[in-house]
Amino acid sequence: MNAAARKLILPGTIATLIVVIVLAAPILPLADVREMDIPNRFAGPSAAHWLGQDEFGRDVLARLIWGGQASLFIAVGSALAAATIGTTLGLLGGYFRGAVELLTVRAAEIILCLPPLLLALLVVTILGAGTWPLILALTILYTPNYARVVYAATQQVRGLDFVTAQRAMGTHPLTILMRTILPNVMPPLLVQMSLIVASAMVIESGLSFLGLGVVPPTPSWGLMIRAARSAMEVSPLLLVWPSLALAGTILTFNLLCDRLQSALDPRSITAGGALWLRRRTRRAAPAPVPATDQPPLLEIKELSVAAQDLELVRRVSLTVRPGETLALVGESGSGKTLTGLAMTGLLPDTLHVTGGSALYTGRGGDRIDLAALDEDAIRRLRGNEISMVFQDAAAALNPVLRIGDQVAEAISAHQTLDGAALQNRVLELLRHVGIPDPERRARANPHELSGGQRQRAMIAVAIANNPRLLIADEPTTALDPTIQAQILQLFAQLKRDTPEMGMIFVTHDLAVVAEIADRVTVMYAGEVIEEGPVAEVFSCPRHPYTAALIASVPEGGAERLVAIPGTVPSPRNMPEGCRFAPRCAFVQATCRENVPPATRPSIDRITRCFRWEEVT
Amino acid sequence: MLRYIALRSFVALFLVWVVVTIVFLLLHLIPGDPAELLLSQGSIAADPQAVAALREKMGLNDPLWQQYLSHMAGVLSGDLGASFRDGAPVIDQIALRLPRTFEVIIGAALIATGLGVPLGTWAAIRADGKADAVISFFASAALSTPVFVVGSVVILIFAQELRWLPAGGFVAFSEDPVEHLKLLLLPAGTVGLNLLAVITRMSRASVLEVLQRDYVRTARAKGLPRGEILRRHVVRNALIPVVTVLGLEMGTLIGGTVLVEFVFNWPGLSGYLVSAVDARDYPEVVGIVMTISILFVFLNLVVDVVNALLDPRISLVTT
Repeated sequence: MNAAARKLILPGTIATLIVVIVLAAPILPLADVREMDIPNRFAGPSAAHWLGQDEFGRDVLARLIWGGQASLFIAVGSALAAATIGTTLGLLGGYFRGAVELLTVRAAEIILCLPPLLLALLVVTILGAGTWPLILALTILYTPNYARVVYAATQQVRGLDFVTAQRAMGTHPLTILMRTILPNVMPPLLVQMSLIVASAMVIESGLSFLGLGVVPPTPSWGLMIRAARSAMEVSPLLLVWPSLALAGTILTFNLLCDRLQSALDPRSITAGGALWLRRRTRRAAPAPVPATDQPPLLEIKELSVAAQDLELVRRVSLTVRPGETLALVGESGSGKTLTGLAMTGLLPDTLHVTGGSALYTGRGGDRIDLAALDEDAIRRLRGNEISMVFQDAAAALNPVLRIGDQVAEAISAHQTLDGAALQNRVLELLRHVGIPDPERRARANPHELSGGQRQRAMIAVAIANNPRLLIADEPTTALDPTIQAQILQLFAQLKRDTPEMGMIFVTHDLAVVAEIADRVTVMYAGEVIEEGPVAEVFSCPRHPYTAALIASVPEGGAERLVAIPGTVPSPRNMPEGCRFAPRCAFVQATCRENVPPATRPSIDRITRCFRWEEVT
Repeated sequence: MLRYIALRSFVALFLVWVVVTIVFLLLHLIPGDPAELLLSQGSIAADPQAVAALREKMGLNDPLWQQYLSHMAGVLSGDLGASFRDGAPVIDQIALRLPRTFEVIIGAALIATGLGVPLGTWAAIRADGKADAVISFFASAALSTPVFVVGSVVILIFAQELRWLPAGGFVAFSEDPVEHLKLLLLPAGTVGLNLLAVITRMSRASVLEVLQRDYVRTARAKGLPRGEILRRHVVRNALIPVVTVLGLEMGTLIGGTVLVEFVFNWPGLSGYLVSAVDARDYPEVVGIVMTISILFVFLNLVVDVVNALLDPRISLVTT
């Protein structure tokens, strides 16, 4: 049983208990709810009357349990009636659409134009107080809720393949509705049910409290609270018991609904919170790293990233020198994006760096281990010395802030520029990344820009503080091919303008690599399997995976494309030896048993293959 | 944007018309003669001649469509008829009592947003932690306790035991502003507690969702301080659905303060409605129900427009 289902036990048990006790009222040894005992009115708890006696000397406990029966009968009764009617309307409306939808779901929704309590009052005005008018009022009230929920669910299920298949086979619509769609819309229906029982109890008790609901002398919690109010000074406890019973029962049903929802739909629970926002104990400053003569800009050594026990990136090492562009290549799931996020401290909360270091040489020449920095320390570097361009600019820009403001805040995070100077810098940046008419675009919201312009704006944000290291995570993937070429040109231009800036270009597109990068690091299943200068790796790959990747690129003269058989192994099912072995054309027995070590075929190249000499 | 507002206004007007018509039909198709009801005193039957005269005067003998037309004409000119009980124009009573109900609702909304948004945000940041568990439980509990229970318990504690505040009643603001506000505090707080629970839960869910968005990661990648990310990027976006819910809840409350007004003897619009229902005073019931429905629909319209202003994407979708 999973955690969500376990959480159902408590409210589920209490709800069952309440229902059982209330249903058992006739067979429980309770005092007569109408038997008055005027001399003992307002008597406190005693052996015969556990919760005391009310203003007529009647037994409070008995009235509480019988009152619960009245409340639950009305609430459950109307919830069931509304469910039957509403589900029918929703199913018909959602399945047939068109005019039927107008007559069923939309018609029911008119009821939602009236405030709920008001509608109930209206019905009671017309029919008079009492149990049955109340049930009718609540049924009318909650029918549209069910109709809406079922309508939405039906529309979803209706589009699924197995329903389309049945329709195509000529199954009668009613059969499809009853046999196929109804079972599939049950989960949201159940959730709605517990919610409505709770809500109906609120309205029932409220109307009874006003004297417009359950008619005395039938006991009801609302009526008991009403009576207790006038006796508050004599016996405050009389108010407390029915209040507790009422609020407790409603709370139980509400909790049941909440937990049912998370048990039935695990997606509704989003990954919890944000660790980076919580104040954490400051980490000890990492030990200083001895400076070398000409340190690289970034040197990642044996960096590993894991989610709990699942290792997603294993012992990745790579180096970026000032002015150099490194392409990080791999299929999706190879860990290339995670490597980028790990070195900027932007990993999702569920992932952690479990080993290794990322040594970065700062503006002042000091070497810092990025993987060991706390949030505040790395924040001062982010967007300042190290910045990122993300894949999907439409999602990566805040939809409700103007472009100019989003660029401006990136500048003000690390520099003190005032109004006019800041504005000028924003326009200068937008112009620099090739956005036409920057004065106007700066005032635009992200959705008013084209995809290419949005990505240009993202780049303007990234270069706002003249970073020394730019990490571009698939910056052209979400764009049209012609726009892709323009954005690549922009990156090439940025390289020319700032020759000392290092760049990591994360991509799965080898054509892009050839165009923009100096060196290439190929990742597979969370490991670096080959590294070297772009020209050399392309002309003479030293790993079968790289060779296969190059062969799969459509080139002008290529006779045919070679696809790599199989898929990237999942982190739960990593092969024991070489991770590429199951898909490798060069595989032999030793590959399956032993992990190939990183080997250097030449001074500036690395491969992780036993048979690298035979690949090309 | 203008087209969007025009379209939504048109839908709202249509809904108002539907509601007015339904209420009219409901009250005219039900069995029972209002004239007879009005003239009968308890079990003593009314004088048939008087009933007939009254029917004529009230226009009950006209065909239904004629009654409907004159009813609609009355609604359009702001004339909601005269009360059966005292003959006073219904519209005057509504004008007198509506502001009092608004006071309670606005006070409640201020309490709820002022506390609910920070509480919900805090719970979201600490999701699955202790603070979240405590806040979420109290929100569920507050949401599950009907207002008349909260109101009664609040009177028991603050008025009877502690004697800090009066148990209920009403004094006009012009007569005694301090006493007026003191009397307002408990009803507004009682409604506010319920609304607070709604806003807290909504803010929590909304902030949790926004925290997963890419643009929050972008804001972090910019190196912005935590507070600024939270304010400009997280809470600002998370507020959009919260404002929607607040607006809808306030709409529901216009007719839903019945219980609070009853508990605290606050002479607002809803209390008027209950007494009208009790007395079967049809012109009053129709007038109040219509006023509330119109306000409800209008408020929903305002919510939609405010939403479109907060979220520039919406106007793009519909035009």
